Amino acid sequence: MEFFQNLVTTFNFILQGVWVTIGVTAVALAVGLVFGVTMAMARVYGNPFLQTVAAIYSVIVRAVPVVVIIFILFFVIARFVNLSPFWAGSLALGFASGAYQSEIFRGAFRAVPPGQMIAARAIGMSKLQAIQSIILPQAARLALPAWGNEATLVLKDSTLVFVVGVPEILRRAQQVSARTLEPFLAFSVAMLLYLVLTLLTTQILQWFERRYRLQM
Amino acid sequence: MKKQIRMWMLLIAALLALSACTAVQPTGQQPGAASAEGSGKLAQIKAAGKIVVGTSADYPPYESIDADGNFVGFDMDLIRAIGERLGVEVEIVDMPFDSLIAAVQEGKIDAVIAAMQATAERDEKVDFTIPYRMTKDAFAAAQDSTLVMEKPEDAAGHSIGVQTGTVQERWVQDNLVATGLTPADLVFSYERADQAALDVANGRIELLLMDAEPAMELAKQTGLKILLITESTAEGGKSIAIPEGADDLKAELDRIIQEMLDDGTIQKIQEAHGLP
Amino acid sequence: MSSTAIAPILRIENIHKSFGKTRVLTGFSLTVQPQEVVVLVGPSGSGKSTLLRCINLLSPPDSGRIWLEEQEITAPGVNPDKVRQRIGMVFQDFNLFNHLTALGNVMIGLMKVRKMPKKEAHDLAMFELERVGLVDRAYHYPAQLSGGQKQRVAIARALGMDPHIMLFDEPTSALDPELTGEVLEVMQQLAREGMTMIVVSHEMGFARQVASRVVFMEGGVVVEEGPPAQMFEQPLHERTRAFLRKISDMDSGGR
Repeated sequence: MEFFQNLVTTFNFILQGVWVTIGVTAVALAVGLVFGVTMAMARVYGNPFLQTVAAIYSVIVRAVPVVVIIFILFFVIARFVNLSPFWAGSLALGFASGAYQSEIFRGAFRAVPPGQMIAARAIGMSKLQAIQSIILPQAARLALPAWGNEATLVLKDSTLVFVVGVPEILRRAQQVSARTLEPFLAFSVAMLLYLVLTLLTTQILQWFERRYRLQM
Repeated sequence: MKKQIRMWMLLIAALLALSACTAVQPTGQQPGAASAEGSGKLAQIKAAGKIVVGTSADYPPYESIDADGNFVGFDMDLIRAIGERLGVEVEIVDMPFDSLIAAVQEGKIDAVIAAMQATAERDEKVDFTIPYRMTKDAFAAAQDSTLVMEKPEDAAGHSIGVQTGTVQERWVQDNLVATGLTPADLVFSYERADQAALDVANGRIELLLMDAEPAMELAKQTGLKILLITESTAEGGKSIAIPEGADDLKAELDRIIQEMLDDGTIQKIQEAHGLP
Repeated sequence: MSSTAIAPILRIENIHKSFGKTRVLTGFSLTVQPQEVVVLVGPSGSGKSTLLRCINLLSPPDSGRIWLEEQEITAPGVNPDKVRQRIGMVFQDFNLFNHLTALGNVMIGLMKVRKMPKKEAHDLAMFELERVGLVDRAYHYPAQLSGGQKQRVAIARALGMDPHIMLFDEPTSALDPELTGEVLEVMQQLAREGMTMIVVSHEMGFARQVASRVVFMEGGVVVEEGPPAQMFEQPLHERTRAFLRKISDMDSGGR
């Protein structure tokens, strides 16, 4: 009975962190998408200067642990802009994910046959129009499987924002286990919630993959 | 040529950004200290009408979060009482313990209250108030012991267990053995405190000297009784951390803490949370 | 040169183009009159495809000048995107947009480049698909179309831009022999409607029937040009004779 009571308390307490986790993941993925696509475009279609900038971004960000980026954004950037823990954490995660996503989209852009670009230019599209209307939609479809994988990685990386005090699933599990003195229960609930979130994400993305599969 | 220069500038900018991450623990300029020159940290807090205090809400009974999401515990009640005397609102933010010092250094929070001890290492990065709660030690004995203690020196002549390498071990050596009150062969050093507690319970030694809070927990588990709780064998205490150089804030907090120690406010809050 | 009365639609003057050390076009000149159908032949590597890409500025010439309808398109400051809208191009391997239906392939240029509203673009695209006989395939994706159908969609896509001249880069050489007919038929119909066309092709039957002029090029320059009858029956140069005989043999051998 006491176990059941504890379970309910623990579950309800950690559940409130689910929305924070979803929020952090969604913001990070969106920011990462913008960064990733822009940087991939710069690398594949940009001039040598843009290519260099994008390559350096990708190499450096992927070499630095995400936690360090979160700390930089929260503590160092905070000297100039006052970012809340949620936004510092989410943006930092997005900034990091952008580097990985830029690699995904770079591969996808390269996998679009070169004739697509030539044909688009031949009907009078500008380079940017061609990328927007022809290359990007195809690259997005090609990138979807790898992107889905990145989405689940970001979901799991979202635990890292707890270092700046964002009350997501992991931090709430720590808090409740300190109170109930049942760490096993608390972290089991956290694990279960992550499992559900990951499976859900995977299912949604697989639906998209089936829906928008590209035949070549 | 121009392109190369641009590339290098970029690389340097990137390196600077990287090096900034090590600057999370800078030794020099503090943003709090810099702005403190003009108006002072205390004045800033009063102007804002609130003090932002960081804690790590996973350490009951000092700080934790209840089922409704409220910050509760001894430290929480204390800081709210301090805020009342400061005449400002208290905003509490939760963070992992290891992030707290960096947060106060970078000015994300005004102070830290998290059962934190003013170690020398931390003292280099932030300033500390006077302790609001001294560390306390406990002498424990078996349930059927007839020993009565009124002061630590009453342990003289009795076999006693301590944990190896602790301040308690040093106190016993300095104050009981070196003074000849207790023969050296009656002092037993244990690897772990719970082993000593078991030996006390089994009657192999008479006394145990250790940190008061875990001692009370151990006493409950192994059926010991606490004979004496004292500050005089212990060292240090729990303090509030504030930005380095925030002298006006330190002075005011020190004054309030002393006042609350003197008028028994802190004592009352401690008792409310079952702390010795 | 003979007809000074009408202005030429396209004038190419002494263009050069190299890729690295390889000199592909070495002083090529050609003038095309409105409604002419020029069939370009020549051995592989003679610069035929490169020439087409120079004309629509996909890879601009290194030197020399090109005029399209009296406007010098190789002049500095000319927006190549605007030039390309007036030049339709059909590729050997179709290059249909893989993520769009046949209809979408025709519509996208109308909406993005010609800025037509969706409804108008849809109606015009349907009209163009009807011209190439593919209304019933409008909602099929490229992967669901045969090679001949793909190439007809590609022609419809180019026609949608309302080009003043069309370039065909070996439009039937990626097709199975039994599918070339439907594409050549569409091209023939276009010629009848008065479309100016430059066609790189070794379809000699098509050249004989449709071309107003056959141009034989080799080594990046024009070797010989003339009406098909003259070129096929009594070419002036030995090289032309040998080449045309060879591909005529292949042509008949293939059927």
